Amino acid sequence: MDLARQAQDGDESAFAEIVRRYSPRVFSVASRFFRQRSLVEEAAQEVFLKAYTQLGSFEGRGSLEGWLTRIATNTCLNIVRSAKRRPEYTVSDLTDDEQSWLEHHSAGDGGEPASVENSVVATDLADRLLSVLSPEDQQALLMIDGEQASVKEVAEATGWSESKVKVRAFRARKKVREAMEKLLSYKGKRAGSVAE
Amino acid sequence: MKDKHITEILDKASIAALSESELSEVRAHVLECMSCREAYEAARLSAVAIKNRAQAVIEPSPFFQTRVMAALREQQAVESVPAMLRLWRSAKALVSTMAVTTATLAIVSFMQPSQTTPATDQTASAYSAYSVIMDQDADDQSYEQVLSTIYDDDDEAR
Repeated sequence: MDLARQAQDGDESAFAEIVRRYSPRVFSVASRFFRQRSLVEEAAQEVFLKAYTQLGSFEGRGSLEGWLTRIATNTCLNIVRSAKRRPEYTVSDLTDDEQSWLEHHSAGDGGEPASVENSVVATDLADRLLSVLSPEDQQALLMIDGEQASVKEVAEATGWSESKVKVRAFRARKKVREAMEKLLSYKGKRAGSVAE
Repeated sequence: MKDKHITEILDKASIAALSESELSEVRAHVLECMSCREAYEAARLSAVAIKNRAQAVIEPSPFFQTRVMAALREQQAVESVPAMLRLWRSAKALVSTMAVTTATLAIVSFMQPSQTTPATDQTASAYSAYSVIMDQDADDQSYEQVLSTIYDDDDEAR
């Protein structure tokens, strides 16, 4: 609160300290929305500039980190909404790496430590699945299933009601599961045609 | 219980967050239900992928703080300029173009001979002394106008 108050009074070094201290948190939020470093940095910068102009509205009732997280989430959602709609992937776009990742993990022996390459493939695959969701539903799913955040935490970070968060997560999980089922059936067909 | 499909359980929470009793129910059901087995497999794989995606976090670079502070100073510099000056800066090009166009039009109109001169002469001849005296219908002219037309013609004759 002291830092926030000093920054409110126009102390630039206090605001610089806020940026230094909370940029990892803001980057973590922006990374949920974007994969490219340049986009994440751009979004994070916008978050801090917005936070600076809105410092007067921070009353210190919650934590500064929570307040910044909320600004970050809403700013990133606005950026994604205003950007052109990304082209949706289709199941026929499965790469060979994704195909082999699915085969490997379908066998049920996915318990080994994940390599960097495997993580990248899994992340690409997750982006393919998430592309069927709205940005809001993506957030709910990534936070709850990906980061093990509670419904309450998601509600605080986004400003949505808890029941809205639950509905979003349920809907997102169902859509992603169905998209994965399609990918798996495509994989089965593709494997069949290769065998023939 | 085996007759009830388990997709609702799968969509209710991530597989990692399901209770032991829910997991037992799911496992028992998928042994006999093909469609639910596929749904379970899809839910399990997507949970792994989503977990990987959530871990793909980009760390801030050491220069990020400097970048933000520079952007902040730039923003403050823009905001400190008075509104009228900012308006002038944005409209400067348009106003300059309009001024140049107006000046050009003014120069062109002074350089070219007037096209209205012959018409003026015709008007003047229409009000010659003879026509004024002879025209019985010229009621729209005042007495002073008629006199000045007659005497002007006399002066010219002299």
